[in-house]
Amino acid sequence: MPLHPYKPKHKLLLMAAGAAMLVLLGVLAGFAILLSGTVNTEATRQHFKITHWLLEMGLRFSVRRSASDVEPPALDSPAMIAQGVACFRAYCVQCHGSPTAATEALAQGLLPTPASLVESGREWPAEQLYYVIKKGVRMTGMPAWEYRISDEGLWSTVAFLKRLPRLGRAEYAALEDEVSPSACPPNNAAPAGDSVEAAEVALRQYSCHSCHQIQGVVGPKTHVGPPLVHWSRRKYIAGVLPNTPDNLVRWILDPHTFSPATLMPDLNVAESHAKLMANYLFSLE
Amino acid sequence: MDARVHTEGPPFRRKEQVRAGTGVWRSGAALLICSTAAACAGERDERSRPMRGDAERGRAALLALECNVCHEIPGVSGAPGYVGPSLAAYGRKVYVAGKFPNTPEILVQWIMDAPALAPATAMPAFAQVSETQAYDIAAYLHSLR
Repeated sequence: MPLHPYKPKHKLLLMAAGAAMLVLLGVLAGFAILLSGTVNTEATRQHFKITHWLLEMGLRFSVRRSASDVEPPALDSPAMIAQGVACFRAYCVQCHGSPTAATEALAQGLLPTPASLVESGREWPAEQLYYVIKKGVRMTGMPAWEYRISDEGLWSTVAFLKRLPRLGRAEYAALEDEVSPSACPPNNAAPAGDSVEAAEVALRQYSCHSCHQIQGVVGPKTHVGPPLVHWSRRKYIAGVLPNTPDNLVRWILDPHTFSPATLMPDLNVAESHAKLMANYLFSLE
Repeated sequence: MDARVHTEGPPFRRKEQVRAGTGVWRSGAALLICSTAAACAGERDERSRPMRGDAERGRAALLALECNVCHEIPGVSGAPGYVGPSLAAYGRKVYVAGKFPNTPEILVQWIMDAPALAPATAMPAFAQVSETQAYDIAAYLHSLR
């Protein structure tokens, strides 16, 4: 007779059960820490040094991989650089600063702090800059610009960023004087690919989900605007306009024409994007 | 049942909370971490605001007026309509009709005579609804979270 009755098979089972138990305990402990409220969320508290290092390294590797099949066009024409300056002035200097201006107050309190693009222009390959500008960086405050700036404009911005490290204060000021921020070309084209997925991205890119809960779109449980669910069954838009796809596009483009008192803002949505959103909403049964 | 409809809601509130999920999480979190009554009371300020009107009478009025013909209203039976917006979680809505702050007083005006506030609205005026009845309805709608 063996000393104890368990066969080796049972031993393995017990060990597996023990390991599963430990994992479960770990998850529960993590959840308890979250609920305890002791996780600090202040933007004045810096990450640990190692956290910062790991996040930054993860970003570099991720962008390198994602941008590996992007082929940059020629980036040295003066017209392109001038357009890039326009986009830089319109959308970048507020948070990243320029050779002639510090970042604005709203950006100085951000965690992580926005990079100085002089250094990014020096260190990052063109295709990676393009990728980051186009797609943004999650959880950093860096937005995706592909719904605001045309593809040509994105590359022009990259062209300018590659030039930026070679510009002194006076040279930058001279370039800046020549262009107006309105010369940055907007993106009015409908995005390529699956229209459902593109519509979900468009709805998020115009922050629709900051006021509306939207069927199929992950976002806060907000109650500012009505939830956009079962849309195809709805009879009215905002209680004033018969709910047809064309009317919905008109409403998104210019809500105040139809309801002067509405708190729905004009989000400056491109018409092709509004059509994408309307198609998506009407697909909701 | 008098004013405190928000904290001592009618029995059907429980179902709504479970559906919304937050009730379950809140009570779970409360069990785990609420060490003092004051700490937990903080979150409930808005809800425990005393309110005119009797929510249960309001529910009966919504049923009698057949509001569900145009609106989906949790706790009010009948096929939900899609002419007007769903009134689910109305107590959390920030605005009435996307135009006015969702206070009991404004909601009461809206229920009684919506076109007076927004002439283009598809919501009709209800001349037969008294102010008391409108406050009852508002109390019920604001109890939906």
